[in-house]
Amino acid sequence: MSAAGQDIALKGSRITRFVIYTVLIVFAIFYLLPLYVMLTNSLKPLEEIRGGGMLSLPKVWTLEPWRAAWSHAQIGVSPTGLKPFFINSIMMVVPAVVLSTFMGAMNGYVLTKWSFRGSGVVFGLLLLACFIPFQIVLIPMARILGLIGLAGTTWGLVLVHTIYGLGFTTLFFRNYYAAFPTELVRAAQIDGASFFQIFWRILAPSSAPIVVVTVIWQFTNVWNDFLFGVSFADFDSIPMTVALNNLVNSSTGVKEYNVHFAGAILAALPTLVVYIVSGRYFVRGLMAGAVKG
Amino acid sequence: MARLKIDNLRKSYGPVEVLKGIDLEIEDGGFLVLVGPSGCGKSTLLNCIAGLEDISGGDILIGERSVTGLHPSKRDIAMVFQSYALYPNMTVEKNISFGMEIRGMPRAAREAAINEVADMLQIRELLKRKPSQLSGGQRQRVAMGRALVRDPQVFLFDEPLSNLDAKLRVDMRTEIKRLHQRMGTTIVYVTHDQIEALTLATKIAVLKDGELLQFGTPDQIYNDPVNMFVADFMGSPSMNLLPATVVEDGGALMVSLAGHEGDMLLPAPESAAMRALLGRQVIFGIRPEAFTDPQGADRTTGQIEKRTCFVDVVEPAGSDTFAVVNLGGKSAVARLRADAQIAPGAVTELAFNMSKAVFFDPASQARVQ
Ligand SMILES: Nc1ncnc2c1ncn2[C@@H]1O[C@H](COP(=O)(O)OP(=O)(O)OP(=O)(O)O)[C@@H](O)[C@H]1O
Ligand SMILES: [Mg+2]
Repeated sequence: MSAAGQDIALKGSRITRFVIYTVLIVFAIFYLLPLYVMLTNSLKPLEEIRGGGMLSLPKVWTLEPWRAAWSHAQIGVSPTGLKPFFINSIMMVVPAVVLSTFMGAMNGYVLTKWSFRGSGVVFGLLLLACFIPFQIVLIPMARILGLIGLAGTTWGLVLVHTIYGLGFTTLFFRNYYAAFPTELVRAAQIDGASFFQIFWRILAPSSAPIVVVTVIWQFTNVWNDFLFGVSFADFDSIPMTVALNNLVNSSTGVKEYNVHFAGAILAALPTLVVYIVSGRYFVRGLMAGAVKG
Repeated sequence: MARLKIDNLRKSYGPVEVLKGIDLEIEDGGFLVLVGPSGCGKSTLLNCIAGLEDISGGDILIGERSVTGLHPSKRDIAMVFQSYALYPNMTVEKNISFGMEIRGMPRAAREAAINEVADMLQIRELLKRKPSQLSGGQRQRVAMGRALVRDPQVFLFDEPLSNLDAKLRVDMRTEIKRLHQRMGTTIVYVTHDQIEALTLATKIAVLKDGELLQFGTPDQIYNDPVNMFVADFMGSPSMNLLPATVVEDGGALMVSLAGHEGDMLLPAPESAAMRALLGRQVIFGIRPEAFTDPQGADRTTGQIEKRTCFVDVVEPAGSDTFAVVNLGGKSAVARLRADAQIAPGAVTELAFNMSKAVFFDPASQARVQ
């Protein structure tokens, strides 16, 4: 009787497994299909694409579209390729991510471990930043950037993204540090550690998971941003996303789809790398932050 | 080492008053234990002494110096937290040396100090481990070590044993007592556990709802409780508190309890306060060990009263036998010798040691002397 029951259970679990895997594989194919199309077509000569068969593998393999996209495709008016804009984006993303993550960590630290009269209100206001649509701040932001002389510069974009990211980074760190035992901070106070010593020596070493979450979040958001880039950048600070758009729109005569595909993959590559390198921490960190707060 | 004086200390969180004017003083080298039910303000009081909470009124003196407004690290105190609060990212060694490092003590001196406490607490082989790799008792010892290297004026302990299992608790209790005897440092110690309080303290403060109910030696707290709360809170099993009536019998004051067959009379002390309650209710308090079999009764006191009682339940407990007796309409616990011949459902003679009996006014809960 019990053996029969076990048998049924085993069979049942095998069927469930089969269904689960089938569904998962179907979804994986569905999501990978665009990447497949982009990758294969970026490795074909243009004639092959025009000859139809977007889904077929290249008959002639070529890296030329990649080379073109990177270094000599027509972007807007000049044939520079995406390279200078890729560098612009890096120059914008790295400081913006570092600054917003660090300031979010500081905010979270103060809001949980040094809370003061009205700190709840301050946190509420910071949270509000998460819900303000980008479009609303465009004009005031342009005015402010003009006033402080950062209009059209990479540092102007860094400032915008840092401020805009602060709501989220603060939320992440606040929730994470709310679960961090306050007694540790008190023990360090008795040991004589200062405000920053407590942060660097006690909290920071335990913050890796939430730092990873914040960095991934900020990196993807800032890297993928189009609106701020197109609104506030001058020619020498245009980020990758905007350049990609220009690439696709500015090709005179024939549309070089293979170059466009290569450019799009180049634009997506850094976020992909960030996810793959630290993705497993991402989920873990989100869970840790979600425990309390 | 220094005395600690707390003068009319008040602490409020917004409109909520958590400490309502606490006055305490513990002499140099004393061991002050704070007890009270959960939420009565013990940790808050300790945190105020440590400087981790700002006080709302009154003053705290360590030695002759007022420490109000002083940063925790400047008060010359060390604290052991309930959760031990070991820094999770540092090894045991680093945990212990962190404070010294912050204070800029040279490396050689730090190492000497670590070695000394490591030997004292027998944690030498743990020095390279992280706190997560330690057992509860080991963590507790490391937390003590971190406090000990400071050689402070006052040690503060916030329920340091509450996370340990029963056996380890007893061991660590002895260890703390030994440490105190050796170092002679003033200690303030918070606990829920009244056995811990009675064994460790030179002075006990009983708190309730932010008020100091009684402050005295363990003997005073145990034998001379000022009210029913203290009487009930200290001691295990706790004191029998039985409703009785004050009567006069041949000119002498007596209390009358509802026994198994009619009322039972026991002598009451002659005093104005007691006489004022004549004809009214009083709470008769007697500890289980003062209510025992006639052979086991304390013969050095002349105030043994023997009465027959109805034994409801018998609970042998190894070293003692507890008998539950119906008295004053309640279940009273008597503590008998282990081999006392007694059976449940029997009527037997038991001895009341009236020199240990205490009386309370049921309305105010205060002691009637
Ligand atoms: N930050 C705070 N804000 C408001 N009320 C607080 C705060 N901290 C403590 N309290 C209140 O102060 C009272 C005393 O708290 P405390 O932690 O001192 O109790 P305790 O005696 O240590 O209790 P336990 O034995 O459970 O540890 C409690 O009623 C608690 O709710
Ligand atoms: Mg407490």
